[in-house]
Amino acid sequence: MSKQDDTAGPVAAPVTEARGTRIDPRLLEILVCPLTKSTLEYDSAKQELISRAAKLAYPIRDGIPIMLPEEARSLEE
Amino acid sequence: MGVIAKLDNDQVRLAYARWAPVYDLAFAAVMRAGRRAAAAAASRASLQNLDGRQADAPRGRVLDIGVGTGLELPMFETETHVVGIDVSEVMLRRAMTRVCARRLAHVEGLLVMDATQLGFRDDTFDAVVAPFVMTVVPEPERTLEELARVVKPGGEIILVNHIGAEGGAVALIEAWLGRRSGALGWHPQFPWQVIGDWIARRDDMSLIERRPISPLGLFTLVRIGRAAATVGERVRAAS
Repeated sequence: MSKQDDTAGPVAAPVTEARGTRIDPRLLEILVCPLTKSTLEYDSAKQELISRAAKLAYPIRDGIPIMLPEEARSLEE
Repeated sequence: MGVIAKLDNDQVRLAYARWAPVYDLAFAAVMRAGRRAAAAAASRASLQNLDGRQADAPRGRVLDIGVGTGLELPMFETETHVVGIDVSEVMLRRAMTRVCARRLAHVEGLLVMDATQLGFRDDTFDAVVAPFVMTVVPEPERTLEELARVVKPGGEIILVNHIGAEGGAVALIEAWLGRRSGALGWHPQFPWQVIGDWIARRDDMSLIERRPISPLGLFTLVRIGRAAATVGERVRAAS
């Protein structure tokens, strides 16, 4: 997925991506992994919140983080 | 999380997915007063000046548990910073549409989360509000424990609940609601004892207010305060 260009008009950005990138930085500060209560990393390209402790990536769909372990992607191969 | 709890959550999710298209129409009028009272109490509690709170300390942070389609989101004071959670992604998408359409700038985020397993740091919110939630969650005590974890010392937990009536017209309505409760995803005969016993067990929690909300007094507003941090705790937190 290519990085958003600031000069690109709003028409160029698909709705889902425009919404998806709107995660409030103040929200990220207070979020932790619901399982381990440890810090999360925000992957803006993949739209995921990564818990290294739980080895899980929580998806963000249309700007809505899905903070359920059963919906998360496992990081273990 | 136990298998039973997960099954119950799935049932709640299913029930709300079914109700999502008509929920606003069917319940908005009945529950509006309760939502308004909850949002007003949460706004007041989150914006009040607490003893020992620094003037520049962030305040007005509100967590809305079971925000659903976001009916009460426009009812919070605009100086608040509201985060809403729900188990139903379908409902949250409707809430997101509402936030965008009405440009509700005080809403900082909407997230799918289980109230018994919150993904927030300890001591984060000035007020935690749970309108019409305690009657639908599979584990009310575990939910209360999580709410207590994320509310700041000196902050408030605000519940709006349907608490079982002894008799009269309200009891008749409850009997009718009780027959519908399977499809609704909530059980109207919620005993006060669950909340009362929990408060009694916690040294740091106290009942601030318990009052019926008009019309009919069908719903009860409950305000639970978390004790403010002691001087020693404040010194430790600052260092």
